[in-house]
Amino acid sequence: MRVLVVEDEAALRETLKNRLAASGFTVDVAADGNEGLFAGQENALDVAIIDLGLPGLAGLEVIRRLRAARKTYPILILTARDNWQDKVEGLQAGADDYVAKPFHFEEVLARLQALLRRAGGWASPQLKCGPIVLDTRAQTITVQDASVELTTFEYRILEHLMLRAGEVVSKAELTERLYDQDFERDSNVIEVLMGRLRRKLDPQDQLRPIETLRGRGYRFALARDAAS
Amino acid sequence: MGAATVSRWRATRRPRVTPAPLKRHTVHSLSRRLLVSVSVPLALFFGVMMLVLDSGFRALSERSLQEVLDSQMVSLIAAAEPQPNGGYAPVPHALDPRLATPRSGLYAEIRSQRHQWRSPSSAGLDADFGTLLPSGERNLSYASFGHDRVAIESRAIQFEDDPNGTRGLTFSVAVSLSPYEEQLWRFRQELIGWFIALMLILLVTLAALLRWVLAPVRRMQREIYEVEGGVSEKLGTGYPRELSGVATNLNALLLGERKRVARYRDTLGNLAHSLKTPLAVMRASLPGGEAGATIGAEIDRMSGIIAHQLKRAAASGGALLGAAPVEVAQLAAELRATLLKVYAGKDLAIELAVAPEAQFIGDRSDLTELMGNLLDNACKWCRSRVRLGAAPVYGAGPRERLSLVVEDDGPGISEQDRARVGQRGVRADENVPGHGLGLAMVHDTVELYGGRLVIDTSPLGGARFSLRLPGR
Repeated sequence: MRVLVVEDEAALRETLKNRLAASGFTVDVAADGNEGLFAGQENALDVAIIDLGLPGLAGLEVIRRLRAARKTYPILILTARDNWQDKVEGLQAGADDYVAKPFHFEEVLARLQALLRRAGGWASPQLKCGPIVLDTRAQTITVQDASVELTTFEYRILEHLMLRAGEVVSKAELTERLYDQDFERDSNVIEVLMGRLRRKLDPQDQLRPIETLRGRGYRFALARDAAS
Repeated sequence: MGAATVSRWRATRRPRVTPAPLKRHTVHSLSRRLLVSVSVPLALFFGVMMLVLDSGFRALSERSLQEVLDSQMVSLIAAAEPQPNGGYAPVPHALDPRLATPRSGLYAEIRSQRHQWRSPSSAGLDADFGTLLPSGERNLSYASFGHDRVAIESRAIQFEDDPNGTRGLTFSVAVSLSPYEEQLWRFRQELIGWFIALMLILLVTLAALLRWVLAPVRRMQREIYEVEGGVSEKLGTGYPRELSGVATNLNALLLGERKRVARYRDTLGNLAHSLKTPLAVMRASLPGGEAGATIGAEIDRMSGIIAHQLKRAAASGGALLGAAPVEVAQLAAELRATLLKVYAGKDLAIELAVAPEAQFIGDRSDLTELMGNLLDNACKWCRSRVRLGAAPVYGAGPRERLSLVVEDDGPGISEQDRARVGQRGVRADENVPGHGLGLAMVHDTVELYGGRLVIDTSPLGGARFSLRLPGR
């Protein structure tokens, strides 16, 4: 998952970046409104965290312009003012949720995951597709009730595919969301990861959870459980 | 404190009487004072004038009466001739014809010790002209001849050729007073009629003048009402010189107050930002373990106090005169949309039953905070239903004309916790389990506006917050 953090306070920005990265996100950062708007428009993001009190371009304006530019990923507002007028304005501008400063990092994380889940059409934090269950909060995978150990990158790929289960996800998109900008994109590391993931999830080659569509990308092929 | 707080708190929260907006027609109105103070001396002046004119008229009529009496006396004396019987009587053709007509109002008598002549006009009347006078004397008296009041002039005369020697004659002439009295009454009636008419005309003119003169004052009064009621933002222009200063200064005050509150809020917002960002940095970079947990708890406490006190300070409490009334329906719809987004992960419905004419008189952000906190709280605790009702209450006190009800189908609030909601302002760090600072904020704001807040159980099953606020 690739997240953009737009926050002018350097210490807070760095802390958020480090802790989000530790939680499995690929993190872009911006220190002011203009930088944030640029990053928000140019990078392939899954979610953005935007502080309302930004120098340069105000946070509200950044959100408005991103929405005007047809960026549909969820946006989480950070605000120090914590009044309803700001919340109403922020959400009217196009944000999806807010967190008041000072926040617990765990709360930010929980809200980000909830936003991502909802953006993918999932109601519960447990993504269930037949025998494969991914818990976004605990970041655990079970296949037919048996726990499966995944590496960070394997987990990120699976989470991304499962959040958008049924849709085609291109290789370029996966690369962008897994790695920072300077990653060398031509490498076949995605294919290698995908092979390992398939073997771990489906050692008997019976379930075939991940399809490869030649030239287009990958698709999580198991149907979502109706209840989730 | 505890449950007892609720009842005491409710008991003191009776409908408050507003600092009375100026009434339009009090006894102390300027125009009434002026009218009263002018009409009293006016009545006094007219009364004295009437007395003076009346006595003048009476003097005049008395003199004319005297003249009539004198001239009749002179002609009676001149016409008196001795009679064969030794008495005196006037020569008939020299007499005033009225003396010959019965009850004509003019009567005469010539009397000596032994003889008496009376004019034919007094025939049949119980006439008493008085006693004989000593020679040379004269006398004016009043008497009644039957029903007729008369003035009698008597004169005692000694004729030099009097055959009776020293014997004197008393001549009397009586004139009826009724024509004079009638005239006096008519005069008085006319006088009173004119004076009353004149006074009424004067007072009406004065009242009309006052109306015209005081029209700008009334206009100012009306415009102040409008500002109070939020119909307009400030007083208009075009006041006369004496009042334009007042109007300008009042406008400056209103504007200054609004700007002051806006600047104040801005400052508070900046303060919140600059206090909370470092707290956020601290919180985010805490070390793990026990030390981190302790510091984290303290940071939470600090930020709770900061949030609460800053919000408290930012609530204007309706000090904003002239702010436009807030449309509750519009605000409710905005908050509903916001909350549905925030609680998108929860399967809930927010029902709005807001009368389109419901308006809040006060500050928009105060109401936004109030409703936001209540609805947020309801959304947090409900199972699936939240209901917001708002309607104007006609006939309620001016500070209770808007009714707001927020209810949900959650677990509700226990009696004990209901009471603590009111205490929260004092101990911002002491949490009622599950009910954040928002409710304390709601309580404070309602109190600032002089409204009412009652917490009980909703028919939906959860908590119900019923508020009364200034509105219409």
